[in-house]
Parts: sequence; C-alpha cells; structure tokens
Amino acid sequence: MADTRDFLLEIGTEEMPSAPLVHATKQIADLVRTGLDEAGLAHGELRSSQTPRRLVVRVSDVALATKEVREVKRGPAASIAFGPDGLPTKAAAGFARKFGIDAASLVRRDDVDGREYVWAEKYVASRPAMPILTQVSEAAIAGLEWPNYRSQRWGSEHQGFVRPIRWICALLGSEVVPVTYADVTSSNTTRGHRVLGPGEHVVADPSCYEATLESAGVLLADRRDQVIREGIEQVQAERSGSRVDTPKGTYSEVVNLCEHPTVLVGTFDEEFLQVPHEIICESMLSNQRYFPIYDAKGALTREFVVVSNARPEVSSTVVDGNERVVRARLDDAKFFYDEDLKVPMDDFVERLDKVVFQEKLGTMRQKVARMEALAPEVVLGAGLGADVVASAARAAHLAKADLVSQAVVEFTNQQGVMGGYYAQAAGETDEVALAIREHYRPRFAGDELPSGVVGKAVAIADKLDTICGMFAIDEPPTGSSDPFAVRRAAIGVIAMLRALPEVHLKPLVERALRSYAEQGLSFDVDAVRTDVEKFFQGRLAAIAKDEKIAPDAIDAVSSVGVIDPGEFLARASALDDARSKQPELFEDLATAYARAAHLADPELGVIIDETILGTAERALLDACERGERNVSAAIASGDFGAACEALAELREPIDRFFEDVLVMDEDTSARENRLRLLNRFANVFAGVANIGVLSKKK
Amino acid sequence: MSGNSMTFQDMILSLQHYWADRGCTVMQPYDSEVGAGTFHTATLLRSLGPAAWRTCYPQPCRRPADGRYGENPNRLQHYYQFQVVLKPSPVDSQDLYLGSLAAIGLDPADHDVRFVEDDWESPTLGAWGLGWEVWMDGMEVTQFTYFQQVGGIEVDPVPVEITYGLERIAMYAQGVNSVYDIVWSYLPDGTPMTYGDVFLENEREFSAYNFEVANVEMMREKFDEYEAECHSCLERKLPLPAYDCVMKCSHAFNLLDSRGAISATERANYILRVRTVAKLCCESYLSEVATKTDGASKERGVA
Repeated sequence: MADTRDFLLEIGTEEMPSAPLVHATKQIADLVRTGLDEAGLAHGELRSSQTPRRLVVRVSDVALATKEVREVKRGPAASIAFGPDGLPTKAAAGFARKFGIDAASLVRRDDVDGREYVWAEKYVASRPAMPILTQVSEAAIAGLEWPNYRSQRWGSEHQGFVRPIRWICALLGSEVVPVTYADVTSSNTTRGHRVLGPGEHVVADPSCYEATLESAGVLLADRRDQVIREGIEQVQAERSGSRVDTPKGTYSEVVNLCEHPTVLVGTFDEEFLQVPHEIICESMLSNQRYFPIYDAKGALTREFVVVSNARPEVSSTVVDGNERVVRARLDDAKFFYDEDLKVPMDDFVERLDKVVFQEKLGTMRQKVARMEALAPEVVLGAGLGADVVASAARAAHLAKADLVSQAVVEFTNQQGVMGGYYAQAAGETDEVALAIREHYRPRFAGDELPSGVVGKAVAIADKLDTICGMFAIDEPPTGSSDPFAVRRAAIGVIAMLRALPEVHLKPLVERALRSYAEQGLSFDVDAVRTDVEKFFQGRLAAIAKDEKIAPDAIDAVSSVGVIDPGEFLARASALDDARSKQPELFEDLATAYARAAHLADPELGVIIDETILGTAERALLDACERGERNVSAAIASGDFGAACEALAELREPIDRFFEDVLVMDEDTSARENRLRLLNRFANVFAGVANIGVLSKKK
Repeated sequence: MSGNSMTFQDMILSLQHYWADRGCTVMQPYDSEVGAGTFHTATLLRSLGPAAWRTCYPQPCRRPADGRYGENPNRLQHYYQFQVVLKPSPVDSQDLYLGSLAAIGLDPADHDVRFVEDDWESPTLGAWGLGWEVWMDGMEVTQFTYFQQVGGIEVDPVPVEITYGLERIAMYAQGVNSVYDIVWSYLPDGTPMTYGDVFLENEREFSAYNFEVANVEMMREKFDEYEAECHSCLERKLPLPAYDCVMKCSHAFNLLDSRGAISATERANYILRVRTVAKLCCESYLSEVATKTDGASKERGVA
C-alpha cells in the first residue's frame, strides 16, 4: 500500500442560496472524483457536504503520487515494419498508433529468437499528488454549473461563482494544496460561525475538519438536519399529539439558512386564528420559513417553529422579533380579509372588467361570462338536473371574483381558496363555495381534481376557455412558448373528462368558441375548432403513450377523429390488447385492410348486386353485415374489446376473398361490384379504428 | 420607544459617520422624485465604468401607489432608504455591513441576522444583480446586491449596493408598531418629535393627490415632453440632464399608475419607453464620461 493522506477542499463563500447549493454539493463530488480518476491518482472514499457559506469535499486515502507506468511491447518484425526506403510501413504505423506513440519513436531490437523486431516503449513517470490536486480543485470550482440559476462576478474579478468566494481551505494531510480562484488563494484555515466562532480557524488535518468546524459553531448539512429534526421532535413531545408541519421545500431551505440551528417556538395572537388558515400558513412557510404546529385534533395552533442561527443565549430576542414580524404580517392579512368580507362578491365580479385576461381576448369579466355559459353545458352533458346546472352557472360567475380582493392581491397563491371563503360567508351553497375553492385544480399532471361535479364543470369551463381563446387568436402553445399554460390546461381538461365519461368534448369546444364569436372576436370558427380538436388528439396521444399503449394503436384510433378522452383511451387500449393477443391475425387484417382501402373507390358506393356474387364474395358480404351489426352494438355499449373482436372475424373472409377473387376483372359490372364490396368492408372499420396503420410497423 | 435605542435622525447620522469612516463620500438625496435610492446618479451612473467609487446617502423615495392616507402603520408613499455603494465590492463587504448594524445599536451578536437569497432586477433601468435580503430576527431590514448589469451594460468592476429600509429598522429598534410612532428627534424640553409629527400630514395629502387629484392628461404630456427632452440632451451628449429627464418620466408614470389611468398594455409600453431612455443615458454616460480618458471627466463634476 502506497503512502496516502486525506484530502480536504473547502470553498468558503458568502451565503449561497439553498437550491443551487444542494445541486452543487452533488456536482462537486463528481467533478473531483472524475478529476482524480482521470489523473490516475488513487483514492478512497469521497464525501461532499455544505453549509450556506461553504462547499466541502473530503477524500480519504489519497495517494501521494500516481503509479509509475513502464510498458514495453514487441511489434511486427523489422523487415515488415520498415519499407525498402527505410520508412515505417502501415503495419508499423498501426502498431504505434495502437500503443499511443508516434511511429518515429519505435525502436528496432533483436528478441531472444534472434530476429529483429520493432519495439514500443512507454514510460510515464510517477507524478506527485500536489499539482494534480491543485489542478483538479481549480477545475472543479470553475466547472460547477448553476442550472436554473445565474453565477455572479464580484470586485474586479472576472471568474464567477454563485456567490463571492472569500476563502479556500485545501489540505493534503497537514499540507496546504495551492489553489487559486478569482482573487482567493488557499490556506489551512476555515472560518467559523459569524457570531459563535468568528474569524479564522486552523484546520490541522482533514480528519479533524468537522471537529474544528463544530468548535467554531458550524455544523455540516447532516448534523444540522439531525439537530433540527430532534428539536422538532422535542417540540412535539412537549405538546402531546401535536404535529409540526415541515413541507420538504421549506424544510430544505431552513436547513440551508443556518450554520448552527436552534429550534424555537413562537406564538401569534389568538385573534389571527380567524384568518383563513391557508393565508396564515403561506405567510409562515413561504415568507418567513416557520413551521406551523397542529394540535392532536389536527387543528392549527397559535404556535409555530422558527429555526434560529443566533447564539442560543439571545433566543428570547429572536423569538420576540419573529413574533413581531408575524404579527405585522397577519395583521395585514386579517385587515385585507376583513375588508374583503365587506364587499359583495358580485361587486368583485363587476370589477373584473378592469382586469385583463389576455390582451386580444379581453377582460376577466368577459372570461367569466363565457365560463358561465360553458360550465352548465358540462353539467348538462353529464345528464344532471337543473339545480346542479344552476350551481355550476353561479359558481362560474363567482369563480374569479377573488382576483380583485385585497387578500389575493397580497397572497396570489390563495386564489380560489379565498373565493371559497368569501362565497361561504356570503351565504352561497357549500357546493358553490367548494367549486370556487377547487376550480384551479388540477394544477399539474396527477394533481387532485375538483371533488364535485360543479367544481369540475367550472374548472373545465375555465381551462377550455383559455385553450380555445389562445387558438382563436392563433397563439397556440409552441415548444418554447406557452405563457397561458395551455398544454397543462388540456391535460387538466382530459383528466376531468375521464372522470365524467358521459360528457362529450366536441360540443364543449363548439360552445366555447361560439362565446368568443358572440363577444365579437373575429376568427374562422371551423378552422379553429379543427385545430383545437387536433390539439386534444395530440395531447391524448401523448397521454396514451405514457400509459404504454403502442404508438400504432394510438394512431389507428386518432385517425378516426375520436377526442373524448375516456373513449379515446379505452379504444386505443382495447385495440392494443386485442392485437397483442393475436398479433398475426391483426397484422394480416391490417395488410388486407390497407389493400382494400387502397383499391376501394368510395364514389362507387356500397350498393351491391347480390345476384352476381361468387362464394368468397358472398361470404365476405355476410361477414361485413355481421361485422356492422356487432361493431355498432359493441360501440353503443362502449365495449371496444368486443368491437375489436368483431373486426377480427373479418380476417378470414377478406383473406379468402383476395385469394379467390380477381378484383380488377375485365367485366366492368363484376369489377365495380367487387369494389363496392371492398367499400363496404372498409366501412365496417370506419367507426372503430384505422386499422391499416397497424401494418405500417413491419 | 424602548430603552436607549436611537432616534431616527441619530440612525441616519450614525450610518453616515460609519460609512464616511470607511471611505464613502457622504452625498445628499437626489433632488428629484425617485422610486428608489438606486435611481440616484451616485448609484446608477457611477456603477458604470472602471473608476472606484464609494458613497452613502439617505434617499427619500416616492411610490405613489403605496400611499394609504396615513392609515396603515406599515405603508407609505414617501419613505427613506439609506443607500451605500462600494465599487469595486470589497472582500469584507458583508462584515462592513454587519459592523454598521452594531453602529446603530443592533449588534449582530445579539440578534439572528441572515442573508436570504433575493435577486434584484429593475426592468425600467435594465439592471440586475444577485444578493440577499438581510433578515434580523425574521424581519427584512436591508437589500444587499452585487450589481451585474446596469442599463443593459455589464458592470466591471462590480459594485455592491446596500439599501437599508430605515423606517423598518427604526420601528424594530425602538419597539414601536406604527411607523408614525418612530421617534425622529427630541425637542430641548425632551418632548419627542415623531415620524407622524413630521410626515403624517404629508402622507394624507399626497395619498389624496396621488390617487384622486393628479392631472392625468398633464402627466401623460409630462412623460412625452421629458422623453423628448431626454433625447435632445442625448443628442448634445449631455447624459446627466438626459438622465434627470428619465427620472421625471418615471415619476410621471408612477403617478399615472396610482391614478389607475394605465391599462396593462399601456403599462408594458411605458416601462419599455423608460427603459429605452434609461439605457441610452447609461450608454452615453459610459462613453462620454465614465470611460473618457482625456481627463475631462473630472472637470465635468459629475453628480
């Protein structure tokens, strides 16, 4: 075992933001590992960690030098390796290349057999670790990337980092590894917590790095996480049955906003509990990074957890200050909420004529009018009664009212939620209030849907209106631009319609577009409707693909124009299933279908002269008639598997027809009669799927 | 007011002394309406070009739409920032800042001071930077920003801008819950002169003016005229008077906004117009003043 030492690289900075810091901690380990491996410097385990003010990599057992490389290899005989002109032949050049040296540096020497050969000799001297570590460290610092973030410059320096670098501690054993980046040169000192261990602290050796830090009041990420978790557990233990809510995003930020955490509990005034809890929690979690505390019954309490980075001795000052901040914030929130409650919701609705929805599509007030027309159509489509229809219209009317309320202007994320509160306070039904509250759902693929039909109806109306509007002004989503989240809206509409399979999409699109036309927007309704339907087909195809349905089965269903999500997916999946059970049959059927569709001449119609049919023709006609009956019965009952089976039964008669019958007969009447029969055959498929697509695969 | 905390004016005086001792030129507020201390030529234009520069100054800021007729304890349409610019940013800029907190009686050792990511961008000035909002015991007290671009131009060297929210800090230090209760100074007999004594009437009157009275047509005309004036100045290679016009445009726009006279489309358009002239001023200042090598820049006595 060669001589080894531990290696430490600590990049000391001003406070780095949490998300890029977490990302960089993973990256820097990879960069250093790759650097060492490429240089051939042997090493043991590699660990990276961080605080907001430092990014750290520790590598155990780094060799003090790379291994020396000495290699000698015999090549072709000298007589082959050199031509009559004395220059290296292709054989020699190939050998040299394989060995990674220049042909000119090949040597000639006898081997023990007495014959003369060419020899390649390679020697790489052992290199000391120090310059390698310097190079690897500097490259790692420069090589860190900051995705979704920007690096910055500082002072007069031109090298960047996510925040200014203020020191570098780099050690191999007790020796400083020279590292320079921007205006900073490495040393053997780290820096302590700003108030618990201010100033520089010598790190004697990488193995005592963590202990040095802790004595200077600094805990690395895992230890901070542990201290905060334990602190929170204690808070919970002291309040029997209580639960501290620590959502992942906020928690990770809290861990990365301190170097020495102390878990404290603050309190706000009882009166603020009357403010909608969503606002209190958003204010605490997003604005202040506090964790709300819920009691044993799951009710929000007046207490919250705040993690301090200060000296534990000043905890009471810290708690007091934070309580003052939360009081001011909740005071504001309560004021807004109370003021909002004084305004009738219908007044808010009228004020929406001052809010622009989209420049070319008019105001929010106009959008609300369109939603009021569309949401009831959804309920009617679902076959529900007049009272539900009325609820949907009412909920659509009030859905956007809260956008002009003071609370939502201040706490934008609570749109919908606040409207629900205001509706309830104004005496609207629970159904209407809940629909308003939930109508922004689903906010992303896989998010919860609005729980009731009325909520779904309003949500569909809202999203479909946006989709249709953006197509009507010819601003559909593109790969790089989708400012109104039209794609996400479509995914939402699809998810909700799957939950309401009785509701048909086409008439809703039609209704949505008509509303725009009625409000005076000028556009080609038919062309836009086709575009919107195609857009939905595209989204459905993407969803079907995600659900592992074969692309050709999806194409086969797409090309018959189905856009009702439930039906589209059921059909595609039934066809895919049927085909995977009997792949040969469907392959064959698809080929026959493609051939028939190719020959068929729709202009001839489907009226067949039954008197001149041969056996095979007769059999195909019977099969077609049976197929038509079975397919329409299957479709009517929504049993797409049965429809596929009905189609499968056509395989034998069509195969026999093509085997026995010459379609392009010289006799015109026989020929046209056969072409009519093929028209008939193709028509059986028309309502199910364009099965010819399935044959494209092979 | 709690214990032996500083008056509002002592805070300003202490900050001025503290930063003067660190080589800052103590300036006075820009004598025109501005929305933030950043607008001052001593920050914005001096950020451009290679010359070193350190300054500090209090700056009254006008945000007409934030007025609340003196009825909200936290919101004002006219308030104070204390602005520090250090160019190039020194290695110890954070420590210098923490020292300034101690200088106004808020020793970081006795509080929980954090640097919380908050990147800054001003669309109207074509400027952005990275940095933090500084929290003291959970309250945002300062914006701390390393400028990267100003007027669309990469800054080199990089200045650091430190902007204190004076009223907030004073409220916290003095332990009062309304901005109007801040003690500004004491009369000889010990009677406190409060922020309300000094500015409450101002808030009432200007809120009424900003929201109800300001002449919309006149403000539109002012905007157009100052925009044209700006171009005239730029043609004569006078970036400083030109930039003065940018501030006038910006304030006219803010008043139009508080009067509710601007639609969303118009708004974007107005912001674009301000940005366009602001960038032209920055470019002109950079070429006519900041990078001029004939020694004339000193004689011009730039603000």
